[in-house]
Amino acid sequence: MRAGDNPFTVQKVRKIRYRLSGETWEGLLERLAKLRYRAAIVGPHGRGKTTLLEDLAPRLEALGFRVRSVMLHAGDRRLDREQRQVLLRHLSPRDLLCVDGAEQLGRISWLALLARSQSAGGLLITSHRPGLLPTLLDCETSPELLEGIVRELVGSETDGRQIEELFARHNGNLREALRAMYDVWAGAGR
Amino acid sequence: MNEFILVETHDGTTSFRPGDLVEGTVRWQLPGAPEEIELRLFWSTEGKGDQDLEVVETVPFHNPGALDRRTFRVRLPAGPYSFSGKLITLRWALEAVAQPGDHAGNLFLTVSPTGEEIRLHR
Repeated sequence: MRAGDNPFTVQKVRKIRYRLSGETWEGLLERLAKLRYRAAIVGPHGRGKTTLLEDLAPRLEALGFRVRSVMLHAGDRRLDREQRQVLLRHLSPRDLLCVDGAEQLGRISWLALLARSQSAGGLLITSHRPGLLPTLLDCETSPELLEGIVRELVGSETDGRQIEELFARHNGNLREALRAMYDVWAGAGR
Repeated sequence: MNEFILVETHDGTTSFRPGDLVEGTVRWQLPGAPEEIELRLFWSTEGKGDQDLEVVETVPFHNPGALDRRTFRVRLPAGPYSFSGKLITLRWALEAVAQPGDHAGNLFLTVSPTGEEIRLHR
């Protein structure tokens, strides 16, 4: 199979957007407003935290916020100069700060960000662990969610048992499960 | 109203050799006149890893109407070639984008010394 024809390419998987479970976008935004726009999206790797943050951004912009985002990676104990500029330069209540991977920050950097963010209209983070800010949503996955995504990507029915095994093998990490599906399709020579 | 942006080569060819001249037409019908339509010649990868993408040339169409057409000529560079393996596919394309907004139309091209996509596996 040509890589471009594989339904599990990174590019195709990234087009799958966050699927809220048992809640509407309006409801989620209401809860975020009640938290004064200072909240955390929590969950382990591959649960859709970044996707949810991306999907919230245009909705927050529609409310009048100017969304300012940075993404932190493993080992980023503090914001670098460019990230500080993006997030913190000339802050106003119209600004809503989004920090993806906030758990990476060291304690002093986190406290400094918290203090600086008081001038902004909000601070929304993703984190692998709860406790940095009140939790807006704990991202969870399920075999049914994985099956629905696979079905959407493949465009046909899927093998439920294979999906359950895949889900269990990757401990609910959908990103890794979908990467594994890429190999299954590439190897199958469909 | 049927909205579209259509990118076509003059003779319908989509297979080219490096250095070839690609000539064609962009036609569009949009709800209102956009500020600008830009044609982009680019290559991108798709596969298991992150995407690489390079815009090689852009052709702006100024003062476009809501219903309009423009011709274009772009020269293809020496590479990279269109290829495909199990892990990565490299594609060339022409894409016309209306600004502001999200209307776009594209045409995939094959660029290689043979005019066919190079297959890295059989």
